[in-house]
Amino acid sequence: MDPTHVAVVPLLVPLFAAVATLLLRPYPTLQRGASAIGGVGYLVAVAALVRAVTADADGYLVYALAGWDAPVGIVLVADALSAFMLTIAAIVGVAALLYSLAYVDAEDQRLSYHSLFHFVLLGVTGAFLTGDLFNLFVWFEVMLMASYVLVVFYSGPEHTRAALHYTVLNLLGGALMLLSIGGLYATTGTLNMADMAHRLANAAEYGIDPAPVLGLSALLFAVFALKAGIVPFQFWVPDSYRAAPVPVTAVLAGVVKKVGIYAIIRVYFTVLSGAALDVSLPFVAGDSVLAYFGPVLLVMAAGSIILGGIGAVNQPDLDGLLAYSSIGQVGFIALSLAVAASAPFGSEVMLVGIAAALVYSLNHGLAKGALFLSVGVIRRGVGSVEFADLGGLSERDPVFAGGFFVGALALIGIPPLSGFFGKFLVFDTAVRAEAWLALGLALVGAVLTIAYFSRAWNRAFWGEPVAFDPQPRLTLVVVVLGVGLLLVGIGFQPIADAAQRASEAAVSRSDYIDAVLEVGR
Amino acid sequence: MTTDRQPTVIARTVTRVVVPFILLTALALLFQGHNLPGGGFIAGVLTCTAFALVYIIYGRESLRTLLGIAADGPGVLGGITGLYARLFAVGLLVAATGGVVSMALGYPFLTQAVLYLSDLPVVHALTAVPGVGTLELASAFVFDLGVYAVVVGGLLSVLSVVGRE
Repeated sequence: MDPTHVAVVPLLVPLFAAVATLLLRPYPTLQRGASAIGGVGYLVAVAALVRAVTADADGYLVYALAGWDAPVGIVLVADALSAFMLTIAAIVGVAALLYSLAYVDAEDQRLSYHSLFHFVLLGVTGAFLTGDLFNLFVWFEVMLMASYVLVVFYSGPEHTRAALHYTVLNLLGGALMLLSIGGLYATTGTLNMADMAHRLANAAEYGIDPAPVLGLSALLFAVFALKAGIVPFQFWVPDSYRAAPVPVTAVLAGVVKKVGIYAIIRVYFTVLSGAALDVSLPFVAGDSVLAYFGPVLLVMAAGSIILGGIGAVNQPDLDGLLAYSSIGQVGFIALSLAVAASAPFGSEVMLVGIAAALVYSLNHGLAKGALFLSVGVIRRGVGSVEFADLGGLSERDPVFAGGFFVGALALIGIPPLSGFFGKFLVFDTAVRAEAWLALGLALVGAVLTIAYFSRAWNRAFWGEPVAFDPQPRLTLVVVVLGVGLLLVGIGFQPIADAAQRASEAAVSRSDYIDAVLEVGR
Repeated sequence: MTTDRQPTVIARTVTRVVVPFILLTALALLFQGHNLPGGGFIAGVLTCTAFALVYIIYGRESLRTLLGIAADGPGVLGGITGLYARLFAVGLLVAATGGVVSMALGYPFLTQAVLYLSDLPVVHALTAVPGVGTLELASAFVFDLGVYAVVVGGLLSVLSVVGRE
């Protein structure tokens, strides 16, 4: 097979896995086998793509679907940024999939679970790889359609209510996204991201007025923030995360949220940053559309960190605590992006800020994955995740408690776990930019993180032991993710290099344009 | 559900007459879809309207007994619903495989081609008719066929599951 196909294989694997799991419904064992093979195959396909991107001289793999070149056709563009995000998706996705095999009821697995899970992976992969703005919308919808069903999966009253909110909000978001993409198309005359970046950077030559781009991109920004669950678009998060099956929640928090983050980085830093626009607002200085979003992101990040942190401290149950925690943790990611967006384009601060957001995303994906999967162990082992019903789990199952502990420490940011570097880079970004407000916010957030995890640990793992039925197979996945967190922290250098390459790719606008449009010339 | 209200003779007769035409139009849309208005999606939707009409006028069981399929079991995906669900899955497989075949031939995923046949005896007979010269065999038809199966299977699954409740 032609080696250039490596860019499309991560899409094909979940697609065929989804089809196979649909066709194999009459044979549940084969179906589960096909799903597991699909999951592992996805991991291999992503690893091959990451290797190919790293080995490529320019660091860009451009794949023209159906042989139609950019800017007319839809292209897949794999660069260091896509590769980094795909790695997060593959690790968390496969861990959650293998966990589901032991967690989800056999009949539920047979009916629809596996195909829906692979469709979510398909949508996520497409969103990370596409080089076309409208196609990004399509992949968002693929991902969301499957996730609607997964949120309502247990079909009880509370699940239906959560799914209704989730669906209505995201349909509304989808409509807004379509509207703003349509507006951008009308303004710039193209949907290809590289072509749009090129036209906006040479707006006068193409007769484009960059002013409408600001309003349209603000509308689009709201949609991405909704996907990422940043305040004030966070309200769907706790109910949906409580309602969905635990491994799905791990993917929603660990991967699907990161699609929103990725879209913000790709669209605002790579594509729209070239649109020159004099900024003359209080506290805002800069000369591009991107500069407007710095203060906006900062306010949203502040809201997320504080609301998520305080909300998490107050929760009566573990899954609610983790759901609010992920609002707060995404706040950290938004915070480093806010500082990066306010910095001069291509400066050191911007690069470090994006790298901080990426490393933090990786850490949050792995750690929150491990923690949400722990919720499943407790739900199975004790029968409840209310703090009132829990206690002494560290005595009942020290190995499982260790896995949870590592996940919690990683989110708090204790060395040598990966979370330390995530937090460190966020602080580093704030200090380099001399953004003392951001630094203060990050400190407040860090203290809140310690507070709510101490509470979770005290209530669930210490105290009077409750009856607990050990779940060795589920615990194994949690422990593996915990070990992963440790390994990422110990061998951090390659991750740091990858994050740096990814953040350079995010701001290398002209390289991106050349790589994509070269195919069409 | 009320059983005392039967559809009128007019409704039943019109359905019998109209359904074949709907299906024929759907097929025409499917076959011309690769380069004219039409295609798998719209053909599938149109086909579903024919099925919906039969369901509404002749009742939910008529089609099943006509096709000789076992009654729906207790599961969600038994009987005719299971058949529709399988049609959906097979359609997805056809569409996706159609894309991969081009990769096996050394082209990017989803690349399509058209084969023009102009020296077939049948086509020679047709060349006398104005506007009909060569026969086009588009590989995009395979993709359209997959889409058609997905739409028909998906919509009919929804119809039959919701109709049963």
